[in-house]
Amino acid sequence: MLISVKNLTKVYKTYQRGSSFKETVKSLFVRKPLYVHALKGISFGIEKGELVGFLGPNGAGKSTTLKILTGILYPSGGTVDVMGYIPWQDRKKYVAKIGAVFGQKSQLLWDIPPIDAFYLNKAIYVIPDREFQRIMAHMVELLDLKDVIRKPTRQLSLGERMKCEFVMAMLHQPEIVFLDEPTIGLDVIAKDKIREFILEMNKKGVTFILTTHDLSDIEHLARRVIVVNHGEIVFDDTITTLRRHWGEKKIIAVSTVYPLPDLTRPGVTVTKRISDYQAELELDLAVYELNKFIALVNKSSTIRDLSVQEPPIEETIKVLYKT
Amino acid sequence: MKNNIRIYLVGAKTALASRMAYRGDFFMSMLIMLLVEMAAPVITILIYQNGATFPGWNMYEALLIQGVFLLGKGIAYPFFFGIVWNTIERVQNGTFDLLLIKPKSVLFMAIVTGFDAEDLGKLVGGVTLFTLALSRLPAPEPGAWLQFMVLFTITLMVMFGYGLVLAGLGIVWIGNFRVYEIFESITSFGLYPTAIFSKSLQTIITLVIPVAILGSVPATVLLGRPSPGTLGAVGVSLLFLLFSLGFWRWMLKKYTSVGG
Repeated sequence: MLISVKNLTKVYKTYQRGSSFKETVKSLFVRKPLYVHALKGISFGIEKGELVGFLGPNGAGKSTTLKILTGILYPSGGTVDVMGYIPWQDRKKYVAKIGAVFGQKSQLLWDIPPIDAFYLNKAIYVIPDREFQRIMAHMVELLDLKDVIRKPTRQLSLGERMKCEFVMAMLHQPEIVFLDEPTIGLDVIAKDKIREFILEMNKKGVTFILTTHDLSDIEHLARRVIVVNHGEIVFDDTITTLRRHWGEKKIIAVSTVYPLPDLTRPGVTVTKRISDYQAELELDLAVYELNKFIALVNKSSTIRDLSVQEPPIEETIKVLYKT
Repeated sequence: MKNNIRIYLVGAKTALASRMAYRGDFFMSMLIMLLVEMAAPVITILIYQNGATFPGWNMYEALLIQGVFLLGKGIAYPFFFGIVWNTIERVQNGTFDLLLIKPKSVLFMAIVTGFDAEDLGKLVGGVTLFTLALSRLPAPEPGAWLQFMVLFTITLMVMFGYGLVLAGLGIVWIGNFRVYEIFESITSFGLYPTAIFSKSLQTIITLVIPVAILGSVPATVLLGRPSPGTLGAVGVSLLFLLFSLGFWRWMLKKYTSVGG
């Protein structure tokens, strides 16, 4: 097991502040402490070469987990073992073997080209010249950054900057890379390029732990999903299982030659009646079989066109978040 | 050690390059730093030119004390005192985390990424004033130079200690740049000969809060008239450095990052 987390807890102490002027003035002198249980004893393990997605609403505990795993924060309780290290105790030795990309915190230097920041990392991680040139050339090619790394960072697009963040995080060839919302705010093309890069590096054996709000990141990248909510793990399995988690449902769009009858019955929910000849439905296969449904519609109205789709993962996630 | 020096030089080079991206602002900032720091010596010159004095000290002796004080700040501010603003700013915007994911001590990374190029103006001012004042005074003996070097090293250590305390406060006292003003107010006593203050204040700034060591104590050995309590000031300074290191570590343990 590359990463082993057992009964991890984290309690933050914050202070309650009032919203009115009177309460604000009062809080200058008397503050009421508030204990936030960000993690309530989570446990999981991750094998080498896995690409795991952490999902959860804001404040669920994803980033706290990631910060403990990267050695940034001390936990309040529980044990963490990553590659034989306790991240917050063996921090210096440990972080030399990991990389991290924080979508909202840049490691680049705003007014100078990314290549200068790469050289700073070269010195920090003591990367030999030849190796540095080789790795940088490889990543620059993979991420299509040839004309980018010598321009001042402030002149780069968000996508170009994010690609450079990946180079920064991976120049020292880490075994594990933690990604905290790496595609936030990016356009489709930049997202695709970054996802390709992650998959390419994952093929080479790099383990990735990814937290995101973008479900398409999870769908494109992660084979395993851990859903965190209110500081607890509410789901930990493959994305296929996640889809099936709340029943084998399909989304059906149908258009017919003759008017559609009332299709509502156990296992069939009409979500949108577009016209007498066209409708969208949700079909629960455990209750009503697909071939029976097609036969029913064809017999009554003659099918002109019919499509069957997986339900959007967002719906499943929403249900998980509400638990 | 060699590698750390290399990292520091690369960090300083990138900070300089970063600051020089806006040339006009860079030179203006340096000039302003120089002028601000020259305010106290200019006032001293005006005082002496109007017939008033610091009792027992001629103008160049008083300027030498201020020269040593500014030289200390001139070395500290660009080269390592940047930990203060760097820490406060990073804790406030959440990028302090990025120092913790580097395989070096957080303090070292805060120094490397906190190199403050525009404060080189202070160094220019310190060197100028120190050289100017010294050139108008009898040349110190080699022994006095040696003592001065030792004491001035302690001056820099105390400056580093102040940096640690202020940066440590910045970890828990989020976004509070007022710490600079507190520091400037406390240490401004170091600009003047200790002997001009009352006995009780002399004791406080020499043996309780290490302020006299920032200017008066090392300068007076160069003048051949060491301040009373020099040894005590050295002891207090070393204790202060130990305290500040402990304080920084304690504050670092309290670091809770920001939400994300």
